[in-house]
Amino acid sequence: MSREKDAANYAILFFAVLSVILLLFPTTKIAHTVRIAASYSLYPSLHYGAKYGYFVRNVPGNFISLLETDQENRELKSKIRNQELQILNAAALTSENERLASEMKISRSLPWSGTWARVVNKTPADWYGSFFIDKGSDDKIGVNDTVLGLQDGKAGLAGRVFEVYPRFSKVMLLTNSAASAVCAIAPAGLEALVEGKGTWLLKVNYVPEESSLAEGAEITTAPGGLLFPKGVSVGRVVKVYPRESFMNFITADVTPAVDVNTLSEVYVVRRHLPHELPGPDAEGR
Amino acid sequence: MSILIELFLYLSAGTFYWWWTQNLAVFGLAPNFIFAAALSAAILAGPVKAVAWGFFLGLYADMLGAGMFGGYALTYSLMAYAVYIVKRHFDMDSLFSQLVGALSLSWLCMLFYQMLSLVFFRRNPTGLKIFLTEPFLNALAVPVVFQLFYGLKRRFNIL
Repeated sequence: MSREKDAANYAILFFAVLSVILLLFPTTKIAHTVRIAASYSLYPSLHYGAKYGYFVRNVPGNFISLLETDQENRELKSKIRNQELQILNAAALTSENERLASEMKISRSLPWSGTWARVVNKTPADWYGSFFIDKGSDDKIGVNDTVLGLQDGKAGLAGRVFEVYPRFSKVMLLTNSAASAVCAIAPAGLEALVEGKGTWLLKVNYVPEESSLAEGAEITTAPGGLLFPKGVSVGRVVKVYPRESFMNFITADVTPAVDVNTLSEVYVVRRHLPHELPGPDAEGR
Repeated sequence: MSILIELFLYLSAGTFYWWWTQNLAVFGLAPNFIFAAALSAAILAGPVKAVAWGFFLGLYADMLGAGMFGGYALTYSLMAYAVYIVKRHFDMDSLFSQLVGALSLSWLCMLFYQMLSLVFFRRNPTGLKIFLTEPFLNALAVPVVFQLFYGLKRRFNIL
């Protein structure tokens, strides 16, 4: 016990003297050396404490962030897989669409607002008069909407909607003997009336006799015609008849721009025509 | 081997105190873990080692501050010696005696350090807020640190 006490006394004496020396002579070389030595010895613990303390302090937030990132990563991977699958499907569909459009000789880029419809019924008794399409008032089809057919990738006037039912409509073809349209004859833009003849040909009428109507002239819908949008191809003049002695006009046969015999799909252009425009009922009266 | 563990414990104690003051100080208040480590070592270790622990932990505290270098070293060395004297008469292993010892020795150490500072540098280093609150925080920290040191002593035969 006494030895231990002596040792304790010596120890406290030693360290107390050392401390007092450091306190008494803070600017001496020995104090300065001890201070520097202590600082450099203990500095690493502070240095690495600071370094890893930063990580330790951010551990909870980082852990949550890691979990969220992992979850988000899984969701994104799943989404990417689905997107890749959809892209592949879309590419296949686009390719199929292009192939079908090419084979059907139709073009999807039309400058009018409307909807595509299929020809679902044609009556042999009225082959050049009308047919039915599979779209009706449920698809916002209205009476007198313009019906276009596509041939060789080019839109041509086929007729107009004549009767509308919820799920189908009846189209009166331009080749119908009761159908007509105001047209413009290229290149001068001379306006005339094109009429159906009940056959595969059309007839252009009321062409002034002094006009230079020639075979091969292209006929389009006239800007002055209310029923159809302007500039739609109607057909091409195939034969010009000489003026009858009792008439002031000349007539011509026109090949329709659209062959109704091969028409399987049409584009119905929504016209939003005024209500007072005479419809089929008015025509019937 | 044990000297390496003690060295690691010494550095850990200082670093932990520094880290706590950096990140977990509330209104600038934090328990003085260096003091707690010095007191725990003084309770558990023999007299020479206890004084040495006090001195070197004090040196660490001196290094952390910008005040007089050697002030805490002397203070904690004397505290270790005082504990060596006291523990011959009181059971310092019990929780209550540790609480009372930590509370009273905290104040005594602060007063002694203040006295040293006034003598050597003529300035008062301790604010009233610290003086009034830190001893209570130290009293809470000492039993925890003591249990840690005690467990390490039993496991690695250190101190």
